[in-house]
Amino acid sequence: MSTISTTQALSDSALDKPRTGTWDGGNEPFKASYGKLMMWFFLLSDAFTFAAFLTTYGLIRHRHGVYEGTPEAFKFSTNYWPIPEKVFDAFPGLHGYHLPLGFVALMTMILIFSSVTMVLAVEAGHRFDKKDVQKWLLWTILFGATFLSCQAWEWTHFITGTEKGTLMNDGTVFHGANLAMNQYGPVLFADLFFFITGFHGTHVFSGVCLLVWAFIATTNGTFEKRGHYEMVEKIGLYWHFVDLVWVFVFTFFYLV
Amino acid sequence: MAQHATHDTVPTGEIPKPNTGWIWKTFWIISAITALEFAIAYIMPAGTFRNSIFIILTIFKAFFIVAEFMHLKHETKGLIWSILIPMALLIWLLVALITEGSYIGEAVQNLIR
Repeated sequence: MSTISTTQALSDSALDKPRTGTWDGGNEPFKASYGKLMMWFFLLSDAFTFAAFLTTYGLIRHRHGVYEGTPEAFKFSTNYWPIPEKVFDAFPGLHGYHLPLGFVALMTMILIFSSVTMVLAVEAGHRFDKKDVQKWLLWTILFGATFLSCQAWEWTHFITGTEKGTLMNDGTVFHGANLAMNQYGPVLFADLFFFITGFHGTHVFSGVCLLVWAFIATTNGTFEKRGHYEMVEKIGLYWHFVDLVWVFVFTFFYLV
Repeated sequence: MAQHATHDTVPTGEIPKPNTGWIWKTFWIISAITALEFAIAYIMPAGTFRNSIFIILTIFKAFFIVAEFMHLKHETKGLIWSILIPMALLIWLLVALITEGSYIGEAVQNLIR
């Protein structure tokens, strides 16, 4: 109890200095601030979640049959796992063209570029360059929002399906996909698409919200007053992690 | 908005020049790897060999993002290992369950026959 009252009695200038005692916050494990350390371990736990998703994808994909004909003769069927580049071959505004993975490559580049603008914001924070931090945060928000819009289009296209559709086992023609039916292949293919890209998209969305908050705080001078831009750095760690997850989703869902 | 008055912590005249060379270098490496992956997807026929190339290139990309952008390369050894070891165990899980998936698939096929 006495500790609390002394703390409250301290003047503002004493609180500006970090505490130095081993057991009252002066110790920094791994020479990283507690906030950054917590972000790292949160990201590690989040990596477990995404690894569980991708492991599930791997297991279910290998449990299903493999398409054995030539790539040119490929047709959608619930009997085997689809070839991803045959499913994701559409591009907005270019209806009817076969552009395998074109749109998803663009999305990947957008997200990688947003990662670069994020590092630039962190770097500007180290130099206390408020204007630069604002500029790069805005670019990151813009790229993040663009990525989310692209994903919305991708989902709409996936759900709507192709004009031809696929003749299902019950004799009806089905277009697109939902959680119970799927024109592209086994039902679980669509389920995993929705869950993996949806969970990743939710992360991007949370990231954009955090970035908007960080932009407002930067504009208000909160970090400048605090004496460091560590919050931008921590949000940056999160943002790079989201980019990193996409790198793996891109490989395991679209390329392989 | 009241905080606008407190500009005294960092005088505007002393902002150092940005040092962004390493950021752009990392960006070009990651972009080049992505472009290479894309080219391989077009040129090479699908197969285990192509998939292994994809996975190796992905690990390269992940290395540059984590080591440079997330700055992990410049943290203490203890932090680096406490992140990497659990991730290595996850790769084991992934390999084990993919193998398991093939066996489940085989078992189901045999049941149908």
